[in-house]
Amino acid sequence: MKVQIEALTRVEGEGSLEVFLRDGKPESLRLSIYEPPRLIEGILKGKPYQVIPDITARICGICPVAYQMSGVQAIEDAFCVKIPEDIEEIRRLMYFGEWVQSHALHVFFLHLPDFFNVPSIIELSKIDKGLVLAGMEIKRAGSLIIQALGGRTSHPVSVVPGGFSALPESLSELKDTLEKALEKALWTAEKLKALNFPDFELKEVLFVSLIEEDYPILKGDIYLEGVRVSPKEFKSVFVEFEVPYSTAKHAMTKDGRVYLVGPIARFNNAFEKLSPLAIETAHKLSLEPMVKNPHKGILVRIVEIVHALERSIQIVKDYKKPQKSKVEVVPKSSTGYGVSEAPRGILWHSYSFDSEGRILSADIVPPTSQNQRAIELTLWELIKDKENIKEDWLRDHAEPMIRSFDPCISCATHFLKVSLKDAKKFTLA
Amino acid sequence: MRVGVFKFSSCDGCQLAFFELEEELLRLSEKVQIQYFLEASSKNTWDYFDLAFVEGSISTPEEEERIKKIRESSKFLVAIGACAVSGGIQSARNFEDFSEIYFSVYSGRYEVNPLSKPLSDFVKVDLEIRGCPINKEALREVLIALLQGKNPQLPSYPVCLECKRKGNPCVVVAKGLICLGPITLAGCGALCPTFERGCYGCYGPVENPNLQALLEGYSRLRVSQDLIKELLRISFNGYNKSIREWL
Repeated sequence: MKVQIEALTRVEGEGSLEVFLRDGKPESLRLSIYEPPRLIEGILKGKPYQVIPDITARICGICPVAYQMSGVQAIEDAFCVKIPEDIEEIRRLMYFGEWVQSHALHVFFLHLPDFFNVPSIIELSKIDKGLVLAGMEIKRAGSLIIQALGGRTSHPVSVVPGGFSALPESLSELKDTLEKALEKALWTAEKLKALNFPDFELKEVLFVSLIEEDYPILKGDIYLEGVRVSPKEFKSVFVEFEVPYSTAKHAMTKDGRVYLVGPIARFNNAFEKLSPLAIETAHKLSLEPMVKNPHKGILVRIVEIVHALERSIQIVKDYKKPQKSKVEVVPKSSTGYGVSEAPRGILWHSYSFDSEGRILSADIVPPTSQNQRAIELTLWELIKDKENIKEDWLRDHAEPMIRSFDPCISCATHFLKVSLKDAKKFTLA
Repeated sequence: MRVGVFKFSSCDGCQLAFFELEEELLRLSEKVQIQYFLEASSKNTWDYFDLAFVEGSISTPEEEERIKKIRESSKFLVAIGACAVSGGIQSARNFEDFSEIYFSVYSGRYEVNPLSKPLSDFVKVDLEIRGCPINKEALREVLIALLQGKNPQLPSYPVCLECKRKGNPCVVVAKGLICLGPITLAGCGALCPTFERGCYGCYGPVENPNLQALLEGYSRLRVSQDLIKELLRISFNGYNKSIREWL
């Protein structure tokens, strides 16, 4: 027998949860992703390197900047381009903008309604309008950062290999907006303190994030259990594999361990690098490493929002338009790697180019496909001892658990790689 | 008024325009009943819709069936964004020789069509909101106009006009960049030229685009027709009905 949630709601993209029962007891489960693959990596083949930031952005409307940043850094790695620090700092600012708007979207629009037992933010606004308006103000601040630097929030246009196509003369008009949003974020954190979190602890899950001087966001090595792995070595430590019921791949470490990427992993691995106000906020929320309850992801996200806003305010205050918005990029035959911390965790890109800079192969590993195994494992812990599970129970307990991980199903299914192995021939209709 | 928001093959970015409406979304919810919107609510009903907004392209047999069901249940259907209007970036594959490209496939359970197509290849579309992604101003205009029983006023002219209005120097003339602005529908505010790069066509072609003139114009600047066509194929709108035959 099977019980299922046919269409998951308040998540990004399309997926379902199926639980198989025998004599009323759970036997297995699958988080199925049925979002159609869009073959982005296949489409990139043969195209000039310049299209990478614009095309890979379209893998995800919620975290396009992450795709652009991992993408351009992979190109720059391949062509040995060194990016000046002032341009990297502006990249961080744009990326912080995305963290703020993406986290705010998840915290307020997708996740928070669960804690108030309402179906949507619209219903939530009837209970606590102040909280909802605060969320919207925070989200808007993130959006405004991206708009100032890239023209629009989703699929901004200025990110190019080597830097930015153009940069604004001044960013001073952002300062007030960001400061007000920071106040709202601190106020929200106080409110979230009162939420009730179901007891739950992640077991046997490795926390994987990037490591850099600052709290990780733009670049760096991959860090797990005290070991550093360079972006180039990524595929020698982590493996992706296909499962028959999902158009997204799963990932594990080569020695077969399940791992988690994203806010909780970053927080657990790099807590001491958070901004002062973010650390203070974490203390107020009694939050310290190791956070193992996925439901508390909402608290970690608000802490990261505080961090991103505090750091952004500093960058905006210090902003001077660089003399050059980009450095020269000269293509050559080579392979490059780029990795950054998308709002949902590490996003790894790799490309090979010919001497003209045309793409020979593309390989992208998004955060959600890395987390899928951990989400399933967690769901199994949740349901394994329950008997005669009904759909309503799944909706009330399993779906919020899935949401707490903030899966981005659109990201996870850009796949279907060009491969000569296991090939199936398509013909034009 | 009963509203539904639906998603097909896409990045989710156009639905976000509803969230970007922020407080207006709350006010709007007093005037309309949002009956079906999986990303926004865990309570969804599907009976009939006065107004359906559809994001995404049609790229599987299941999607072909679902879009027909939505059409049958809806009085007025709006295609939102380049995927729904033209087939999206995933339709770039429609121009490649698939018999020579091999794809590894995850499971037999999931079928993917060789072509990614716009909604209008399957059902009647009453209105298009352009863009990759759409912008909230256009969405607001459509919602308010339809609520009042008026015709929404959306741009019908090319990006070049927006550049002139903003006082942008032409990036083709001043910087020697390739720009698809002359045949691309306005609405973005000439974003790319404002950021000193050529328009890459994400709002899709204007009505009756003069592609021949564009190709000839670039030929005079020693830009090959092949390159312009390649750029149009990956313009997120290459499979739009008005240009697909040319490419």
